[in-house]
Amino acid sequence: MKFKNGITEKNVIVKCAADKILPFALVFGIYIILFGTISPGGGFQGGVITASAVLLLYIGYGYSTASDAVKQEVLRVCEPIGATLYVILGLCGIVLGSVFCRNVFFADGKIGDLISAGNISFMGWTVGFKVLTGIGFLILLMLGLLAPEFKKSGAADGELMVDEDDDEKEVDE
Amino acid sequence: MSKAKKIAAIISVCVVLLAAVYAVVYAYLKIPVTYDGSDTNVVELYNDPQNYDTSDPDGVADIIVKENLDKTMAVNNVSAVVFDWRGFDTLGESFILLTAIAGSFVILGVHRKKTAAGKVQTSEEMKGGDQE
Repeated sequence: MKFKNGITEKNVIVKCAADKILPFALVFGIYIILFGTISPGGGFQGGVITASAVLLLYIGYGYSTASDAVKQEVLRVCEPIGATLYVILGLCGIVLGSVFCRNVFFADGKIGDLISAGNISFMGWTVGFKVLTGIGFLILLMLGLLAPEFKKSGAADGELMVDEDDDEKEVDE
Repeated sequence: MSKAKKIAAIISVCVVLLAAVYAVVYAYLKIPVTYDGSDTNVVELYNDPQNYDTSDPDGVADIIVKENLDKTMAVNNVSAVVFDWRGFDTLGESFILLTAIAGSFVILGVHRKKTAAGKVQTSEEMKGGDQE
């Protein structure tokens, strides 16, 4: 398997580093999402850190493995679900007799517990879920253009949009 | 575009502008000022920020600093501001992300379909190339 840009031929060191860093990135990102309300961090940051697992997969194993391991369709469907959950949690404030995004479910637990902040925790988790799925989907979508399979198939179809590849094809022939 | 449409558009824009001007004038005349900065000694704050008396902030900062635990039970003040006091802001930010991803999905979706269809072709081509 030889490609021009050499994406599928990975160095062993790079692959091992991706293997070692991947679980830590996942656990750290999910920790930041879960504890965003009582420690520094939050939904956006934790979501982006968790979505970097997709990049690590791509660096270590190439696009085909990453797109097989992470389902693009699931991510695409899950992102609007997260946004809708955020709006529903915000509307809970209006339903329970206050203003939009007012914190309403906060009578549980001691101060400093995981769900002691009530609605703020849930909204942080929905934002984290939304950013995690959205950025993961965006990374996969953009890396799909770099994939050698795409370049090969485009050259075979003869419908590639970039003009340089047409020139290369002529040169190859 | 006909003349009636143009006139209707101009009239609607004028109505919106008049409503905005009325709202600004009303807010300026009727709503009391919560923070005018009269209690803040800027020179002292700049010269000696460590020993400046910050125990009595005024305005919105007063509410956020003093009544945050009672109102939100959130230890982290920043997350209380982001998700409670300014929840609309976070909503807008997340919808910006949603819009950006939807736009790039529309633009790059053509390539994505090609990629999904190209895998089988590529493997066949590779096998054929190896055999040759």
